[in-house]
Amino acid sequence: MSEEAESGTMEGKPVVLVEGLHKRFGATHVLKGIDLAVEKSQVVCVIGPSGSGKSTLLRCMAFLDRYDEGRVFIENRLLGYRETDGELTRDSERNIDSVRSVIGMVFQHYNLWPHMTALGNVTEALRVVRKLGRREAEHIGMEMLGKVGLNDKAHDHPARLSGGQQQRTAIARALAIRPHVMFFDEPTSALDPELVGEVLQVMQELASEGMTMVVVTHEMGFAAHVADEVVFMDDGEVVERGSPDDIFKRPRSDRLREFLDTWRSRAI
Amino acid sequence: MDFLGVITSHYNAFLVGAAMTAVVSAVSIALGMILGLWLAFGLISRNRPLRRASAVYRSAWRGTPILVQLLIVFYLLPEIGLDVPPVAAAIIALTMNTAAFQAEIFRGGLLTIPSGQVEAARMLGIRVLRIRVRILIPQMMRLVLPALINETISILKNSSLISVIAVTELMRTSQQVVSVTYRPLETYMIAAVVYLAMNLVLARAGAWFERRHALAAR
Repeated sequence: MSEEAESGTMEGKPVVLVEGLHKRFGATHVLKGIDLAVEKSQVVCVIGPSGSGKSTLLRCMAFLDRYDEGRVFIENRLLGYRETDGELTRDSERNIDSVRSVIGMVFQHYNLWPHMTALGNVTEALRVVRKLGRREAEHIGMEMLGKVGLNDKAHDHPARLSGGQQQRTAIARALAIRPHVMFFDEPTSALDPELVGEVLQVMQELASEGMTMVVVTHEMGFAAHVADEVVFMDDGEVVERGSPDDIFKRPRSDRLREFLDTWRSRAI
Repeated sequence: MDFLGVITSHYNAFLVGAAMTAVVSAVSIALGMILGLWLAFGLISRNRPLRRASAVYRSAWRGTPILVQLLIVFYLLPEIGLDVPPVAAAIIALTMNTAAFQAEIFRGGLLTIPSGQVEAARMLGIRVLRIRVRILIPQMMRLVLPALINETISILKNSSLISVIAVTELMRTSQQVVSVTYRPLETYMIAAVVYLAMNLVLARAGAWFERRHALAAR
């Protein structure tokens, strides 16, 4: 694969690089110049109040939402646009797919395809994008479902799975294409509290295997224990960033202190 | 009343007429489905000119009577150098008509599928056509099946209008039977029963498909 060959020469360069990112929805300025670098095997957690723009940031980093200004580089390749003399023009779908092919994405609402079994969900891209035969695809699919502890649910449709099982299936589906970086968009926010743990555990295992991850989350415990860097966003800006200890034990800004106080008072 | 006499003396004519009705309707529904699917994706496209063009087509064919459409197609084709038999003109007109209605049915079904499913597929590198064929259309078809059966029933009934352009389907057959038997009441009641029978079979088939898919989705 050409992408893998390229990444081999990328030693030391960030897997994801975001520069001066701006996003507006009509008159609303949602992202106001975000910079972010994610190194190989790093886990970056993005936290912040609802409406702070953290999900939009992740969606722009995957080019699910078009960004208005700035740049997103995935393994050193500009995502979504072609640049000529500093001018950005929208790239072809083929090129966007190509740059994106190293990203695995997990959504808040799982977004599984309900008419397919868990295994069907996991193998679909292998079949139609990687053009693998049924046997090979299902072999990889079972391996991925095994990784998230769902071998026995392979032939069930999503409607028969719990929320936690559905989200783990979605993680297996994203992993099946062997991504170099995983984006998680509030992966546990739609789950009943008792099902959050099983999903976080899978994510923690991924992190310990060296997966590069960007996680938009409300799970402060996860951010504190698993993240290499925590980014605190508010009102479309990065207010503070640092190690989990910096962010959770030594907040410097009033906004972060306020946010953490609110969260702690709710956690009781 | 002499139902038996009319049936026994013209049994074959009714059968052939009913077969023509069934074939014209089935072909029109099938071709209309292909056209209707393209049109439905046109109606929800992000491409504005395509969306507008699809909406104009939809509105034009939905907003004029089938009888008028039928006659226009029938007289227009020779005008533009296409000498086709009346049955082809009938199929073209019915296809273009049902495409507009089916497109609206499909559009409604497509809008109920959460956009996140498409985003997930895009992130896996699955291309637009594949997403439609493998993810959107299968789910949409289950949702719209009852409406689609309705539309099929409606086309089957409206196909009686093609008798005016000399296609010998059930309705025209009945008219011919009347002209020799002078038994209009019996003849048209027989025709009505045949239409009803065909539509009851359709409704049953639809219900069976629905049950089967409901089971498969578990």
